[in-house]
Amino acid sequence: MTLPSVTLAWIALLGLSAATVLVTTGGTGHFSPVLFGGLLLLLAFLKARIILARYLGLWQAPVWLSGFSWVIGFFCLLLLVLYVAPGFSP
Amino acid sequence: MHAPTPKPERDVDAGIVDELPGELMIWVLIVSELLVFGAGLAAFMGVRISDPEGFAAARTHLDPALAGINTIVLITSGFLAARSLELRLAMKRTAARLHLFGAMALGCVFLAIKVQEYAAKVAEGISTETHPFFMFYYLLTGFHAAHVLAGIVVLGLVAWKDDPRTIETGTAFWHMVDLIWVLLFPVIYVLG
Repeated sequence: MTLPSVTLAWIALLGLSAATVLVTTGGTGHFSPVLFGGLLLLLAFLKARIILARYLGLWQAPVWLSGFSWVIGFFCLLLLVLYVAPGFSP
Repeated sequence: MHAPTPKPERDVDAGIVDELPGELMIWVLIVSELLVFGAGLAAFMGVRISDPEGFAAARTHLDPALAGINTIVLITSGFLAARSLELRLAMKRTAARLHLFGAMALGCVFLAIKVQEYAAKVAEGISTETHPFFMFYYLLTGFHAAHVLAGIVVLGLVAWKDDPRTIETGTAFWHMVDLIWVLLFPVIYVLG
């Protein structure tokens, strides 16, 4: 018996949340700011994509899922740039 | 083997918009809300550039563990909401309603944790004027909490008027609240 895709999505979200806790606990002591911010935002992006695809049903509309993914991906990249920007200030 | 049924003229003309699951207007709302919260989060990180030490010091007053628990609460609530639609489509109305009530209950847990979080801040004398960090914190998390409250009401309404289309629209609102939280949480509670 296979699990429904929504259940698999929930398990994946729990796993990504656990990974977020691990990275957060590690903190900037274990990672460079770019890696730390990048990992956290990558995990956030993956969670957002799962919610869009499985909870909101965009797996049925691949073009829209791709569009949302690109926009949220670029947004996460913008947040990462803003996060590391103070380190490059004069 | 039957020949494929030709698509009705209307479908061909409507094009890509018709691919979206559910009501078009809920997607308009989802995009609007993402833009509003996105602008807020970008402004938060933009203001942080001028005072990263002040933001880091302010962030130590937050409790990421509580916010992490709230993430689990909200994604589990979203799971119950998503399952409710599947159950309703399978004509299991009672089970669908129970899942919606479960999603609402977890929404209430989220708000209870949020109230506890705000009470702790107020007890410390932290207000919107303490530091720009807290202005954004109260504004963004408060606006999100207002959406959670609205979402609980919406889930209650769709549990009452439980045709599949209504449940699909109501739970989409709930998933939007979930979606915003997974983007808001790391920015405010960890990176801010």
